[in-house]
Amino acid sequence: MTVTSPEKAKIELRDVRKSFGAVNIIHGLDLSIEGGEFVVFVGPSGCGKSTLLRMIAGLEDVTSGDIFIAGRDVTELDPAKRGIAMVFQSYALYPHMSVRENLAFGLEMAKTPAEEIERQVQGAAQILKIGPLLERRPGQLSGGQRQRVAIGRAIVRKPLAFLFDEPLSNLDAELRVSMRIEIARLHRELGNTMIYVTHDQTEAMTLADRIVVLRDGRIEQVGTPREVYEDPSNLFVAGFIGSPRMNIVDAIYAGDGRIKIADTVMALGQNFAGVAAGDGIKLGIRPEHLNVAQSSSTALRAKVDFAEYLGSTRYLYCYLPSGETITVEQRDGRDLSSGEEIFLRCDPERLRLFSTGGDRLRSANTAGMPTA
Amino acid sequence: MARTRNSSARRLFANIRYHGFGIVVGLLFLAPLVWSVLVSFKPSVEARQPPLPPWPVDGFSVQSYDNLAQYGSGIWTYTGNSLMVSAATVVASVIVSLFAGYGFSRFRFPFKNALFVLIISTVMIPFQSILTPLFLILTKLGLQNTLTGIVLVYVTLQLPFSIFMMRNAFDAVPKEIEDAARVDGASVLRVLYRIMLPLVLPGVVTVAIFAFLASWNEFLAALILLTDQNKYTLPVLMAAVRSGQFGTIDWGAVQSGVTLMMAPCLALFLLLQRYYIRGLTAGAVK
Repeated sequence: MTVTSPEKAKIELRDVRKSFGAVNIIHGLDLSIEGGEFVVFVGPSGCGKSTLLRMIAGLEDVTSGDIFIAGRDVTELDPAKRGIAMVFQSYALYPHMSVRENLAFGLEMAKTPAEEIERQVQGAAQILKIGPLLERRPGQLSGGQRQRVAIGRAIVRKPLAFLFDEPLSNLDAELRVSMRIEIARLHRELGNTMIYVTHDQTEAMTLADRIVVLRDGRIEQVGTPREVYEDPSNLFVAGFIGSPRMNIVDAIYAGDGRIKIADTVMALGQNFAGVAAGDGIKLGIRPEHLNVAQSSSTALRAKVDFAEYLGSTRYLYCYLPSGETITVEQRDGRDLSSGEEIFLRCDPERLRLFSTGGDRLRSANTAGMPTA
Repeated sequence: MARTRNSSARRLFANIRYHGFGIVVGLLFLAPLVWSVLVSFKPSVEARQPPLPPWPVDGFSVQSYDNLAQYGSGIWTYTGNSLMVSAATVVASVIVSLFAGYGFSRFRFPFKNALFVLIISTVMIPFQSILTPLFLILTKLGLQNTLTGIVLVYVTLQLPFSIFMMRNAFDAVPKEIEDAARVDGASVLRVLYRIMLPLVLPGVVTVAIFAFLASWNEFLAALILLTDQNKYTLPVLMAAVRSGQFGTIDWGAVQSGVTLMMAPCLALFLLLQRYYIRGLTAGAVK
């Protein structure tokens, strides 16, 4: 069994399960993460993303299944022997040790010679620009500096893979942006495999090579940020990824590539597999794909409830005649007041159809083709 | 201008009231201690007189200390016994409660909570009610009338509170710190020694202070379980001194004994109070 180069360690999960007593948390996951890839786990609270990360780290036992890192079965190995380093949400620095001691602790445990420890510590301090902080205690550092030290502690160990458990959650908005850029830069410079858990979609979309969307311990979709955003494989992913979230409205498939929403019939220009005329469906439309248009029998009629002005754009929160709410990103700068009636149009290419069970309905021409 | 003068006068008055109250309360607490110390320096004859004034009128004298030193096998024997018993109780209580607290806080095992409640519930048993069984058990073990036996009794009595204290102290340490140490390659014992111990030090100090004070001042068990005069601890000696010889009580010797007994308690508390207060409030606020 060969260990690949540290920078390109592949991580594989094979039918990994986790249960606490009778409660199943992770339901047989299979996932392959390529060496050097930056993979982000996203999902709502309690979906098992942190548990999964802790299982990869060895901090949680695996109930069944196998975990491979760099071709080696690490399922039963101690965390320190897996060749991973982890950055925690609360930094988890040792509060009674100086920054230098924090960075050196892992190397000391590995019985690394003192000169080598010093060289590694200085190297990490240089990369993360924490050189002047080496003699300080964590209590004397700001949140951003603490997170840098936590990342430094991971770097010095020269791990096969980095695991990040919501590392930016405790930082304020401004610092979060700068640290996010630093993590992206770090990945580019080090090239290690990185797994990153977050519930922040911006972090997921900007950092990830691939996003793994989890719900209730199951993978809902794996794909590039563009794939999960533009081509969601089910209603959950469509609703979860994107802010504001994708509008989901009830519709009826009218056959011949047409759908009926409230009292409006829209032509999609293509037929869909797995659905017959008269079947109820769910229609997904992103707020930015709706345009405020002139009155027309093929446009959706809606009433403005209230508007949010965000400077570069404006969000309109509207009601359809059916009573469903719909969010529109308005870019024409026109001031629309509450109660005003508007008409909405959308490029049929941008519409996403789902069965009432939540599965994606695809064009009859592309159905069955792999999406991610 | 007048308003500024008024407000500064009000502040001054509030300060005087605040500090005045503190000084009065402080004096109330200190008075018995100072009284004992002053009486211990009166000559023996003067110490037997009515107590006012509390300070020595005929000059300071160490006669009471000399008398105490001559009592029985000599004060140093009893002080040594007390120090040995207290130190052993502190060490054993800290070690056992450190491991037990860590286990209860961090490990999952069957009946964990039931066992913890069982241990804590033993504080509800009146100590006096188990003195006879304890006496019999120690006799069976050949530990009756030994300092080792009395240490075992003290440690047993001290453990419920100590384990409770240490479990709280460990609970207050975020689990992620321990996880980080495990990822860094530290074994369970090394995590406990290098990472957790410094973080739960206030709890350890609290346990140590309580164990020391309880064993240093404990009287009843020592009186019942120690029969050999050479093995007496200071509280038992003090009772013997107080009961006097030939119907007379040497109050000077009694007060010098009291002074001698409270000195280590005060020193320990003053030295460690910073940790002690932190230990008692551990977990109360984030």
